[in-house]
Amino acid sequence: MTEITVNVNGAPRTASVEARRTLADFLRDDLDLTGTHVGCEHGVCGACTVIVDGRPVRSCLMLAVQAAGHDVTTIEGLAPDGVLGPLQQAMRDSHSFQCGFCTPGFVMQATAFLGAHPDAGEQEIREALSGNICRCTKPTWGATYDSDRGSALHRLQRQAL
Amino acid sequence: MKLPDFSYEAPATVAEAIALLAEYQDEASLLAGGQSLIPLLALRLTHPAVLVDINGLDELSGVSVTDGQVTIGALTREYVAEESETVAETLPLLASALPLIGHEAIRSRGTVGGSLAHADPAAELPAVARALDAELVVRSQSGERVIPAAEWFEGYLTTARRPDEILVEVRFPVAEPGTGVAFQEIARRHGDFAMVGLATSLTLTDGTISDARLAFSGVADIPVRAAEAESLLVGQQPTGELFAEAARRAAAPLDPPADLHGSSDYRKKVAATLVRRGLQAAADNAHERH
Amino acid sequence: MTQIAAQRYTGSSVKRSEDLRILAGAGRYVDDIKLPGMLHAAFVRSPLAHGRVLAVDASAARSLPGVVAVLTGADLDDMTVRGPDPLLAMMGGGGPTAEYSLLATDKVRLVGDPVAVVIAESRYLAEDGCELVDVDYQDLPAVASATAALDASSTPVFANLGNNIIGPHKRSEFGDVAGTFAAADRIAEFHLDVHRHQNVPMEGRGCIASYDSDSGLLTMYAATQSVHITRMGVAACLGVAPERVRVLAGDIGGSFGLKIGASREELAVAAASRALGRPVKWVEDRSENLTVSGQAREESFDVRAAVSDDGDLLGLDVSMVIDTGAYPVMGSMVPSIIEAMLPGPYKLAALGFESTAVVTNKASYIAYRGPWASETFVRERVLDLLAKDLGLDPFEIRLRNVAPRTSPPAMMVTGRPLTGVTTRESLERLTQVVDVPAFRRRQAAERARGRYLGIGVATFIEAAPGPRAPEGSGGALGQESMRLRLAEDGIVMLFTGQMPHGQGHQTTLAQIAADEFGVPFEQVRVVIGDSDVVPFGLTGGSRSATMTGGVTLHGARQLKAKVLDVAALLIEASAQDLEITDGQVAVRGDPDSAIPVAEVARQAASGRFGADVDATLEVEATFDGGEGGWSGGSHCAIVEVDVETGIVKVERYVAAEDCGALINPAVVEGQIRGGIAQGIGAVLLERSAYDQDGNYQSATFMDYLLPTACDIPRMEIEHLQTVPLDADVNFRGVGEGGMIVAPPTLVNAIEDALAPFGVRIYEQHLPPARILELIAQQADDDADKPVALAERRSRSAA
Repeated sequence: MTEITVNVNGAPRTASVEARRTLADFLRDDLDLTGTHVGCEHGVCGACTVIVDGRPVRSCLMLAVQAAGHDVTTIEGLAPDGVLGPLQQAMRDSHSFQCGFCTPGFVMQATAFLGAHPDAGEQEIREALSGNICRCTKPTWGATYDSDRGSALHRLQRQAL
Repeated sequence: MKLPDFSYEAPATVAEAIALLAEYQDEASLLAGGQSLIPLLALRLTHPAVLVDINGLDELSGVSVTDGQVTIGALTREYVAEESETVAETLPLLASALPLIGHEAIRSRGTVGGSLAHADPAAELPAVARALDAELVVRSQSGERVIPAAEWFEGYLTTARRPDEILVEVRFPVAEPGTGVAFQEIARRHGDFAMVGLATSLTLTDGTISDARLAFSGVADIPVRAAEAESLLVGQQPTGELFAEAARRAAAPLDPPADLHGSSDYRKKVAATLVRRGLQAAADNAHERH
Repeated sequence: MTQIAAQRYTGSSVKRSEDLRILAGAGRYVDDIKLPGMLHAAFVRSPLAHGRVLAVDASAARSLPGVVAVLTGADLDDMTVRGPDPLLAMMGGGGPTAEYSLLATDKVRLVGDPVAVVIAESRYLAEDGCELVDVDYQDLPAVASATAALDASSTPVFANLGNNIIGPHKRSEFGDVAGTFAAADRIAEFHLDVHRHQNVPMEGRGCIASYDSDSGLLTMYAATQSVHITRMGVAACLGVAPERVRVLAGDIGGSFGLKIGASREELAVAAASRALGRPVKWVEDRSENLTVSGQAREESFDVRAAVSDDGDLLGLDVSMVIDTGAYPVMGSMVPSIIEAMLPGPYKLAALGFESTAVVTNKASYIAYRGPWASETFVRERVLDLLAKDLGLDPFEIRLRNVAPRTSPPAMMVTGRPLTGVTTRESLERLTQVVDVPAFRRRQAAERARGRYLGIGVATFIEAAPGPRAPEGSGGALGQESMRLRLAEDGIVMLFTGQMPHGQGHQTTLAQIAADEFGVPFEQVRVVIGDSDVVPFGLTGGSRSATMTGGVTLHGARQLKAKVLDVAALLIEASAQDLEITDGQVAVRGDPDSAIPVAEVARQAASGRFGADVDATLEVEATFDGGEGGWSGGSHCAIVEVDVETGIVKVERYVAAEDCGALINPAVVEGQIRGGIAQGIGAVLLERSAYDQDGNYQSATFMDYLLPTACDIPRMEIEHLQTVPLDADVNFRGVGEGGMIVAPPTLVNAIEDALAPFGVRIYEQHLPPARILELIAQQADDDADKPVALAERRSRSAA
């Protein structure tokens, strides 16, 4: 067991973990941050996506010990006072998800991508989100293009993320 | 799918790392990006006694150019290489392959060296390394070896790296002026491993092909250079008929594996298609790079 | 149309109340729950498809620090009662019943069959323990296909059955089959296959069983489509009265039919919790989900079609085989639904139908979104094949065969009336939205340039809920119950057995109640997920729009009447003169008389009214579906096939749908999109593949491929004007339609794209390699028949 301290959602969090514990399990079980979901545990579905040092990362493919000393942002960190950020609000406005299991992963991936590429076009966004799997609906973000609610994405792009 | 137990070491220097490998040999697995190794551990397909985490070896990261040669540290993250202007300018073939590696989140952690050391025959970087005759530099307590890509890939997930060696850097020649490239894949979905992939590089000098590289992924248990097709191309004018003949010669000797996603026959057919398309695309952007 | 009082919320895309917690990461799925003293389970699973279990040695596992117990199949047999699957029992299946133990004892029957369960302090340790359990197997020949199972000499998967046929061959006839076929101008014969694929929700199965030794009560935290059916299953297995089991469910990460009742693993976990007196959690991982949770759609059909030279589909004679896997559950009931639905909205005069169901060493055939969907695949594929033979346009042949909407309604030859069906309108709407002649011109021009585009159309109807059925024929699902209460704080509470797992019931039902009762949307709360509190219900079969929407509407009216009766006493007016608007009760036209409903509730609860006043502001409402109605629609896809790689791109997808009155258009569209996405997945990407030894080959997401944002095009959804049948409730179900009709729509489009190659498609799964094979096979066949090829090519260029 190793004691690690990870900067999670802006606060240092410490726990004692086995080396084999994934970052996903550390967040969910040691820190009770259950907003990050585990969908496949082999790095394909993207449900476990978090942001590490500004980059989207599949938390099931990282060991918790590897995150020691690094900055991790989870879904809980995006709306700290319960106030939805513009991306989350846009997703709600466009009815972009149903069961919600894939949603935190999509939000984190989209947050990281749009933060780095605020002027991305439709095809780029599709590709950026193609590593997240949604089973309930046309994968989340695409929904915004199918209706007049497409403005959600444009509004988002106008705001600094 | 929880990982099995293992001892964990996180060396701070390369010297420490190779000392650990000297001690544990093939009982140790090296953990770099983890995007290939951690799934294998989660599926309990591998049970190393020791995991040597080399993510602390900052000295193994970086891209530099000296005397016509680009050196990429083994631990350079794929996204760093993807965003590198140096790579874009000097290694257009690598630059075109990097965005096809999985998805963004994979490239956040995956490393250039890790992909080459893991040597999945369906992966992009092994084909690029073979196409460009890259040199892979390994280090152990006995010293360094420089292994040409042609000798690096030995079999399925098997390389010339000995258990006590660590891959420290990869060296590529800077692309010549007049070089056009294409990296193309036939994959089930965007971001998937290719059923067949092709790294293509054509150098045009005064309108004639002066250099041609074709390296496949997904057609064997290692990346495959289409040497006969390459020799057909060199010295010729780029034409559709030439490319079609090159495609036939490139595909003819192939005996690709079959799996759930494609039969051997299918892979062979699309290999030929990729050669035609890759050569055309490379020829088109060779003109742009004049 | 639907007659709702205020219609302020109903019909509009009200934002979902569920979303706030989901977006903040505060959803509560089963794996998010932690209980004090909780242990974790993992299963030892068979590596063989078929084998005898000779010995199970768990001693090393039991000695591993952190492992608390290992229960084998034999141990669990001692602590449980064997019985049939609760869903099966409820639906009343026929045919012989396979006998088997909860976990495998003497035999394993599929790869992944659970043999023992390891309970430990963590899932990591439980899996370590599993690796230490030593099981001695003896290989048996695998029955790895329906063909193998039909062979009388194949090794029986179940000793008590004697062979591998669980649904013996039976035949029905509707109309004059022999006469219709004898009189037809031509008979066409086809063999069609639908491949095995599966639900794959993003959250797998899982539960926490928590047995309290003091009270003898078991609480199951479950992911389920019905807390009551799960309760029934758990109680039966544990041999206790249902009242001794409480099932709680919160957020559920999708299901599509997977999570109904209780699986063998969940029952084992319940028994383990009781044995240990501690909570035990089991959440399946993705490999378990893909390998053993259940699969669907593996059916094959021999079809004979009686046709007139002008394109009238006069009769069908269909023989099907369904592969129900090992541990058969509801698979053997699917043929009867397929039989009933095969005529679709067409004038079909005769249907002969026979079916056989077999068991094999594969995962159980379970319900997957529109389990009977193959009826639409078969029918719509056959129509296209016939159209090609006769030189008819696919829209034309369908419009020719659609039954006219008459009064009294036309009858399906299998017995149900085609009341209010708008198939003709949906086909016509497609032709208004998609300029088919312009497409045909573009198609011809592109073919000349070596690009292959195709257009496909298919139509369906779904009994969601279907027209009113004869009295008492609906069984447990023929009625929907709801308890409605006005709480003292003025909140209108709806207690429903619906168990949303993405459908947004907490929003949609509140919309109806808010409109009907007269309060703001925020003043309604939908209570779900507690078997001690909610009435019986099941979310499935696309029933909730009508059944639960209807019981909400009628129940809200009944509750409102009660509230107005009490309010009349408070306001000293006649109840008929009162109305509720925005949560205020007032005399119509006299806003100064207004009092909040909360005040009425408080007064009612205060005891100030005598025994002659019914001051319980609560009703138990039921609804039998009213006049019901069909859902349905027509879809159209335009695809491009790269004939060098076999890769298919869906360029455009249009759905013209009729699901009655819309409660929440965004929710409706989401359901349609999700179903279409699954249809695209089925045709282009998804296959639950077994080799000839029964080894499962699609056990990770690298092999079982789900569609992503790059695979799914924009979808245009056209809503049709519905024919209202009921005075009040014209909401109809939409959950399954997309998945039912999308596969034939796409296959029809792909075949159209490949028409120049003479390709005919008799299957549903078309990955790139298969497309090239079809083209090559046809080229090989054509090499032997140059004249036929020339004819065919000139016809398709026309």
